[in-house]
Amino acid sequence: MDFILHDKETIAEMLTSIGVNSLEELFQDIPADLLLEKLNIPHGLSEPDLLRRLEELSNKNKIYSSSFLGAGCYYHYIPSLVDFVISLSGFYTAYTPYQAEASQGYLQAIYEYQTAITRLTQMDVANASVYDGSTALAEAAIMATIATQKKKLILLEGIHPEYVEVVKTYCWGQDIHFEIVMEDTLISKLDDSVAAVLFQSPNFFGDIENVSELVQKIRDKAPKCLVVQVMTDPTCLGVLKPPGKSDIDIFVAEGQSFGISPSFGGPGLGIFASKQKYLRKMPGRLIGKTNEIDGEREGFILTLQTREQHIRREKATSNICTNQALCALASLIYLVSLGKTGLQEIALQNFQKSHYVKQKLATIPGYQILNKKPTYNEFLVKCPNVNKLIEQCKQENLLPPLIISKYFPDMKDIVLVCVTESNSREDIEKFIHAAQKASNKNIGGN
Amino acid sequence: MTSNLTLIFNKGTKRSQHNFIPEMDIDRADLAEIIPSSFQREDFPLPDIPEVEIVRHYTELSRKNYGIDSGIYPLGSCTMKYNPKINEVITRLPAFSQIHPLQEGNQGALELIHQLSEMLIEITGMDGFTFQPAAGAHGELTGILIMKKYFENKNLKKNKILIPDSAHGTNPSSAKMAGFSIIEVRSNNAGEIPLDHIEFAMQQGDVAGIMLTNPNTLGIFDRQIKDITNIIHKYGGLCYYDGANLNPMLGICRPGDMGFDIIHLNFHKTFSTPHGGGGPGSGPVGVIKELVSYLPEPSIIATEQGFVCREKTNNSIGRIKCFWGNFGVIVRAYAYILALGAEGLKRVGQIAVLNANYLRVLLKEKYHLPYDRICQHEFVLSDRGIENNITTEDIAKRILDYGLYAPTIYFPLIVKGAMMIEPTETESKISLDNFVEVMNKIYNETKTNPELLKNAPFNTPVKRLDAALAARKPILHD
Repeated sequence: MDFILHDKETIAEMLTSIGVNSLEELFQDIPADLLLEKLNIPHGLSEPDLLRRLEELSNKNKIYSSSFLGAGCYYHYIPSLVDFVISLSGFYTAYTPYQAEASQGYLQAIYEYQTAITRLTQMDVANASVYDGSTALAEAAIMATIATQKKKLILLEGIHPEYVEVVKTYCWGQDIHFEIVMEDTLISKLDDSVAAVLFQSPNFFGDIENVSELVQKIRDKAPKCLVVQVMTDPTCLGVLKPPGKSDIDIFVAEGQSFGISPSFGGPGLGIFASKQKYLRKMPGRLIGKTNEIDGEREGFILTLQTREQHIRREKATSNICTNQALCALASLIYLVSLGKTGLQEIALQNFQKSHYVKQKLATIPGYQILNKKPTYNEFLVKCPNVNKLIEQCKQENLLPPLIISKYFPDMKDIVLVCVTESNSREDIEKFIHAAQKASNKNIGGN
Repeated sequence: MTSNLTLIFNKGTKRSQHNFIPEMDIDRADLAEIIPSSFQREDFPLPDIPEVEIVRHYTELSRKNYGIDSGIYPLGSCTMKYNPKINEVITRLPAFSQIHPLQEGNQGALELIHQLSEMLIEITGMDGFTFQPAAGAHGELTGILIMKKYFENKNLKKNKILIPDSAHGTNPSSAKMAGFSIIEVRSNNAGEIPLDHIEFAMQQGDVAGIMLTNPNTLGIFDRQIKDITNIIHKYGGLCYYDGANLNPMLGICRPGDMGFDIIHLNFHKTFSTPHGGGGPGSGPVGVIKELVSYLPEPSIIATEQGFVCREKTNNSIGRIKCFWGNFGVIVRAYAYILALGAEGLKRVGQIAVLNANYLRVLLKEKYHLPYDRICQHEFVLSDRGIENNITTEDIAKRILDYGLYAPTIYFPLIVKGAMMIEPTETESKISLDNFVEVMNKIYNETKTNPELLKNAPFNTPVKRLDAALAARKPILHD
């Protein structure tokens, strides 16, 4: 199939208007030896054939009845209206709103998104979003070096390992030095040469830091050093103290949990917020409210574009020019659909359900919860037999937890378990049963 | 003054609906046992809003927004083509949309990425692809970092890069993010790259290579493209292809054959995935054989046991994004290529160029066309000769009054008062004729009623907005 509208006669007529004799003549500037004979690609497909082909391919992926895997990508219930709204043509088939007057709908929606994020995080300003959590952290790292004119960063152990790798790639590009430190040595590593401390909370292993205390300790030792917090599942903000109340300078998060399906890890949403004083160093699009030049009404417009690449070229704060507009819209719809009551209750259910699983696992011989700090919906469990646990989960049609040695080879026999509101009691009992079976050689299992 | 605007946050009610909260089916523990109260938030300034109000609010907003489903969207270098609806269905298939990036049982996803990679290798003439980059600019950064790593490995100090003055703004900005400084190459009168300039630059010894888009932002195919890439290669440099303008080349000519070493694609342009109002995009990067080991990890290879991730290589630039890239977008692009097939892709290239040239010859009767020759996917007009101090911006705003969208304006920078027009292949002749008619009416208005243009638009939800005020006193949230 194709999506061309001209018949042969129309093409001939248009060629005549142009003053050429054939379609080939339109490519007269291309040297003959560069012209392609034919692409070696299969013949096109009709819509029903295409759908059948892709359904078959998708069926080679496994879908589970319930998931105990998180590690940067989470299963939360998505209200039906989220997909309905983002499927409205005025939103999903639009471009970046360059012509503000013909794009007021989207501009208002993203302004509302910025508002929702500032209210949720209590940060001063939020941008229109960046690609995802990992690149948001990398952009925050670079922004901190621009704001402080220093080229050294400290990362606190516990940041998602793939995020660390992304930060490493970006930093190498700009000759920025960084070091990963354990919490007990953090303060001793700080001095005036450090642009920022970056940390994750709740961290990759599930630990929730005492953020206010941590920030204060950093301020006491290095007052000019910026503090950057990252989060991979910001649904916890339904209950947890927001970063803006802990004096965080730059806050970033992966917003996938807010109404975006897992989709094999992308697209997600890079939530990006900061203190007002760093606004002009911020990467990415910003939507502002303004007035008609010659009238009474208010409206919305892309603003502070002099930070951006299409005006400033190599002097821009970042090369980023897309945001994740449609994902930002999805997260906005999620946030307003759940509302205050829903967001608080979802966070509470995540706390309660994972706490329940934690306590149950702790009673099974051979299992040990490794977290010493409070946790949200993820925690580390030392298991008597990891492979057997994974196998038992699969038998129960449960997506098994992460074997942490995938990222940390030294951490043997440990899984990172994720429990959210999407796990029903029945799913949870199945998981606990699977863990029991994997603890005792005598009962069932392989 | 009461505002004309009602934000969603003003539609809250005291009666909270619990439509989206599952019933709690386990006994609750004392919260303070789980999380200290000093860690908890005190207030939560978001209202509870009824579902019906939310749907009505955003349905109304969507009506106040132009999209490709509304009509022609002639933004130059943006390739706003029709987004096939079937791709939206396919990407939402549960076994695509509900899979976790770290799960086993991902063979369908890996096979899709691998097959797409094979097809793009054929379409572009490259030898390997990564799908990690989330957008075009992200692909550029990836590609430029590959260049950096390549010269680092060779122990060569090459910290400069050639970029033409007609380049997209992202090119210099991406190069800077990889630590390069930029040498701007001035285009000649024909809109092409002067060979002696790049030869001279390459002779200095510290230039890593060139970033080019071909056809360029004037819509011109550089006739000496082979000579350009040959010169760069002669001095050991690498050639980067900005794939933003690949659409007219589909099935016609391949960047690999032009002599390029690294390329990024924009799935949201050439391969019909929706722009979504500015994302999510996808910016895969392709490279020649010598550079395949430099691609970000993970990459996927086919084995007898199925599709697996490639082991780490020493050359790789590392990871550029979490997980596998924007898979949901990748699925749509794959479906698009399968649907069109070889013939369909070639037809895209041909008709995109036909439509652009048709508009070019009709519009140049009234408007100044600084580079008057056959174009490829787009062409650039200017406001030169327009009377009564009417500017390109005035013309753009007036187009909105006729219910259409405006071209890209004031870009490329090398044309003063530029209007950059790219109709794409999915416009009918009637749609193109209508655009010409609107442009001609506006041209007449520049002479007969200039005030109308200076104050346009009138038929949009708001009149012309004050951009200077927005920047001077930023109001970024309520």
